[in-house]
Amino acid sequence: MHGELLSLGALILIAALIARLGRRFGLPTVPCYMIAGIVFGPGTPGPTLIEHPEDLSLLASLGLVLLLFHLGVEFPVEQVLGSGRRLFVAAGCYIGLNVTAGLVFGLALGWGVPEALVLAGALGISSSAIATKLLIEMRRLTNAETPVILGVIVIEDLFLAFYLALLQPVLSGAESPLLLARDIGISFGFLVLLFAVARYGARLIGALIHSHEDELLAIGMVGLVALVAGLSADVGLSDAIGALMIGLVVSRTSVRDRVERLVLPLRDVFAAVFFVAFGLSINIADLGPVVVPVLIAVVLTVLTNVTSGFIAARLYGFNQRAAANIGLTVLGRGEFSLILATLALAAGLDERVGPFVALYVLILAVLSPLLASQSRYLARVMPDRLLNPNWRYVREETISTACTHLDQIRIENTDIDYCQACGEDGEWVELRLCTSCGFVGCCNDSPNRHSEAHFRETEHPIIESLQPGQGWEYCYVDETLVREPMGSNRSESRSEN
Amino acid sequence: MGQGVHVQELMGIGKRYDIDTGDRSTRVSVVVRRDGTRDLYVFTSDSEEPTAVLELDEEHARKIGAVLAGTFFEA
Repeated sequence: MHGELLSLGALILIAALIARLGRRFGLPTVPCYMIAGIVFGPGTPGPTLIEHPEDLSLLASLGLVLLLFHLGVEFPVEQVLGSGRRLFVAAGCYIGLNVTAGLVFGLALGWGVPEALVLAGALGISSSAIATKLLIEMRRLTNAETPVILGVIVIEDLFLAFYLALLQPVLSGAESPLLLARDIGISFGFLVLLFAVARYGARLIGALIHSHEDELLAIGMVGLVALVAGLSADVGLSDAIGALMIGLVVSRTSVRDRVERLVLPLRDVFAAVFFVAFGLSINIADLGPVVVPVLIAVVLTVLTNVTSGFIAARLYGFNQRAAANIGLTVLGRGEFSLILATLALAAGLDERVGPFVALYVLILAVLSPLLASQSRYLARVMPDRLLNPNWRYVREETISTACTHLDQIRIENTDIDYCQACGEDGEWVELRLCTSCGFVGCCNDSPNRHSEAHFRETEHPIIESLQPGQGWEYCYVDETLVREPMGSNRSESRSEN
Repeated sequence: MGQGVHVQELMGIGKRYDIDTGDRSTRVSVVVRRDGTRDLYVFTSDSEEPTAVLELDEEHARKIGAVLAGTFFEA
């Protein structure tokens, strides 16, 4: 027993040291843990700390379960539901494009349909942890595109839940399409049940694990998570999805904040074991044969990411820099890809999936911080006409406005020099132009405040000052000045007048 | 303009507060993360890139806040 403890301790400590070294170079932690597993595992020449990766399987699956549980607990349900249609369109495009590309690529590899489905998820779903850390480290938290990036990765998490529910029955290999349909039915039935518990039974679950003492809450929480995860594995779903769903349930209870705080260190430790254990199962000699397909997959992922970044930027009226930032920040792949690969290996699919995903995650882990920090060079070569055709863009500049209605700007110039509601003989102080329809009205210092009245009537959000030399824009909905640079030639043309 | 403070939700991270300083080229944004960490973004030029970014834990954020608010005095 103490021999196992010794080697586990040594391996985890080494993983921590490698990750610390990696952080100095801005690398994400997940691939570093994996490297520790690969290097000191049985599949690599040199010292072997753990001979049988399966010895770690219980700890590793606890890591996977806690990882997804935490995801569920901190999932911002209300914010996602209240975020509006546009975000769902942007996220839908991102997911659709990336997962479809992954699926086509997987099918083209010819390893089999279940393998292709696993690769579709592993290639298509980006790592929330990597993207979030990048945003913080690159000091981009106040950029205009950041809420969109965060929204996309959160909706991706939601998609992951459904994808896991769909995938597990396929992986367990039902004999006929009818049986498969039944299994998928059971999966989704269980999902619906857990949703119902989340909606109506949260109070009960809260009461079950509730305690004023952190110690007891933590223990109750771990017990509950492991139980539900095991239960869902028993009915033919993956343990991952059960853990995610019970996390969503707990997120609706009064102990949510405390659970979130308590689970975090546990998650970090056991998830690290999970990533190390995944690395242990990789034989370094197997990496060679998958190099070419992995490189193709990486190129494909970069292309689909940049494309979906463009689509999102167009939807929100962002410039090229924001488009490049979106595409290159969500490029990182990590925990979810490894979870899917683990599921595939556990189901006895083609063994090449393991080394393939390992190498893919490693390459993107190095590539994504590098590319994301150099996004201005991509922005420089992006043509204007792919975005909003009527605007002139300041391509490389960061936009940091908090307004999310830039896409509704259509008109930025007018010849009208009177308030259209007051008439040519009316009285006003300054004039404002509605950038959605071109209506010219008087400002809020004028007696009649026709510009704001126009907004109340039409909900056209953004006005522009027509005062010579001003040219600022203001959004009524977000109650904020729309910061330049936004495009258009208004500042030059106005100052000439 | 909402008393010059604009709040925006940053899904999964926390909340962003934009504070107008009265001068168009100078503004301050604070991101309050869910784990309590505060990111203080200061913009002092017309550029949209922050001039300075400070990552503060709760204790330091409170200290700075107290001094700024004038509730902390030391002779």
